[in-house]
Amino acid sequence: MTHLRLERLTRRFPGTATPAVDGISLDLPQGALLALLGPSGCGKTTTLRMIAGLEAPDGGHIQVAGRDVTALPPHKRNMGVVFQSYALFPHLSAAANVAFGLEMRGVPRAERAKRVADALTLVGLDGFAARKPRQLSGGQQQRVALARALAPQPDLLLLDEPLSALDAKLREEVRDEIRAVQQRLGTTTVFVTHDQTEALAMADLVAVMNQGRIEQLAPPEEVFERPATRFVATFVGRAAILAAEVVAPGLLRAGGATLQAAETPQSGRAEIFIRPHHLRPLADGEDAANALPARVTRRTYTGDIITLECNSPAGTLLAEVPGGTPAASLRMGDTLRLGVDPGDLRVFPA
Amino acid sequence: MIGLLLCLPAALILAAGFVWPVLLLGRISFNRTNDMGAMEQAWTLETYARIVTDDFTWDLALNTITLSAGAAAAAVALALPVTLLIRSAPPRWRGLLALMAVAPLLVSGTARVVGWMAILGDQGMINAVLTGLGITSDPVRLINNLTGVRIGLTESLMPYCCLVLIAGMSRLDSRLEEAAATLGATRSRTFLRVTLPLAAPALAAAFALAFVLGVSAFITPRLMGGGRVFVVATEIFDLALETVDWPAASALAMLLLGTLIVAMVLRGVLSGRGAAR
Repeated sequence: MTHLRLERLTRRFPGTATPAVDGISLDLPQGALLALLGPSGCGKTTTLRMIAGLEAPDGGHIQVAGRDVTALPPHKRNMGVVFQSYALFPHLSAAANVAFGLEMRGVPRAERAKRVADALTLVGLDGFAARKPRQLSGGQQQRVALARALAPQPDLLLLDEPLSALDAKLREEVRDEIRAVQQRLGTTTVFVTHDQTEALAMADLVAVMNQGRIEQLAPPEEVFERPATRFVATFVGRAAILAAEVVAPGLLRAGGATLQAAETPQSGRAEIFIRPHHLRPLADGEDAANALPARVTRRTYTGDIITLECNSPAGTLLAEVPGGTPAASLRMGDTLRLGVDPGDLRVFPA
Repeated sequence: MIGLLLCLPAALILAAGFVWPVLLLGRISFNRTNDMGAMEQAWTLETYARIVTDDFTWDLALNTITLSAGAAAAAVALALPVTLLIRSAPPRWRGLLALMAVAPLLVSGTARVVGWMAILGDQGMINAVLTGLGITSDPVRLINNLTGVRIGLTESLMPYCCLVLIAGMSRLDSRLEEAAATLGATRSRTFLRVTLPLAAPALAAAFALAFVLGVSAFITPRLMGGGRVFVVATEIFDLALETVDWPAASALAMLLLGTLIVAMVLRGVLSGRGAAR
């Protein structure tokens, strides 16, 4: 059941040529986590701020649980927001920060105390209730911000780059915690990030945004494996990009090689995107629809995965091979054959 | 070392233009005034004793403090909405609005008093409207009395309050107010629960500065009080130039200076404690 619906939502900042958010529409089911993924300036934060009511749209509608909230001020929307900088009240203790939303809703004192304690327990911060924000570490502040947003039981949880201020190790830990808490409470959530790993790891749905538009709205696997546009293919994950010409539908010529692809434009120049994990080394005598002779030009060892950069008649390819396999022992200058399924080639008009 | 050298010109100016005259003033305050009203060189506390035991001095002090505190509080209260407006204005308007808020500082205090006379005088704008509409038959006395001094002092302190508040509140993160709104706080509750508590240090600093300036104000009480309002600063002037009792004028000035220094130090200690909390 649709919980959040955006309809042709538009925001144009005065004095700018192109809209920051250009008529985006989406439906988000109850309890799902949506990641708005894109480079800075793509309109993802503006979209979030419009949902929260902190920014007024120039056009379009926002519906939550079937109710149009487009014209409502932020304090009447019942949404929990975690800001990038956390925006904790510096003059209030952790507990008072968490209690703030409950107090504004007129929750009686006794119940308030219980719900504040519950919220702090939920984020693993019992015992920190009396601390002021500046007496807490970055990760703890982040958790207080999450507890504060969740305590009033919001209809929608909105997170604006909540992990960007944390160091790499903590980021992963807090990321998994946020996801766990979100799933336990079943709160429908919108999450803004420029980090594809975060988006892919946490989200039920990923909206890849570019220049105020949604390029693709799909589950993480689909965004990664079947990017809908050239932008999505280059922004999410790594890929080898080959210049090619469509010879006939389903058949391409790239450099000195001919490749089969499941979907191609009718004719004309095109670009082929191949993800490193879709290329696999072929055993001697093994046949494949697309088999390319290749020579290793660089080998990067990162533990469980070895990345081989190879020259082939079609162009430069990137292949990932698991450690411990025969291909993992290949060195610079060695030759091999790489195979790729026609269905794994993504072809976009150039 | 170079830093100290670079401070030298300012130090010399301060020494020649402030420290030396104050020391002279201090020296004079220990001199004696004889029965003829002439000053005699001496080292005595007679003048101080005379001033401290005089009830008129305490009346003056009380007048000065209540007048300055009231005007400072009013100036801060009036400057706060101006500051909030400037803060919420689009960035490109902020500079211009801030300039307008402190523009009165560009006009001499005397010129501003003349302006007030045209507005508040018996034939001034306000009384012309009041009598013209038949609201009052006689003009309301708005100048050349305590009311006039209150109005003038508040107005003259406001730009300083604006300066301090604009500087102090520019560090206040507007995301905090947005956060309060998303948590269900109306604009007024956001103001009372978030903006005001966080602005408190800036408000205190503005009040302190305005109070100190108010206590030492001379032009406004002198020109807008019409000779009916007595504060410490006007009394020092009268003692020095009308009565020509230099020891008494000096002693009163030293007492005022000492009181202000103690007040500033106390404020520093109190706000330091507030920040450490």
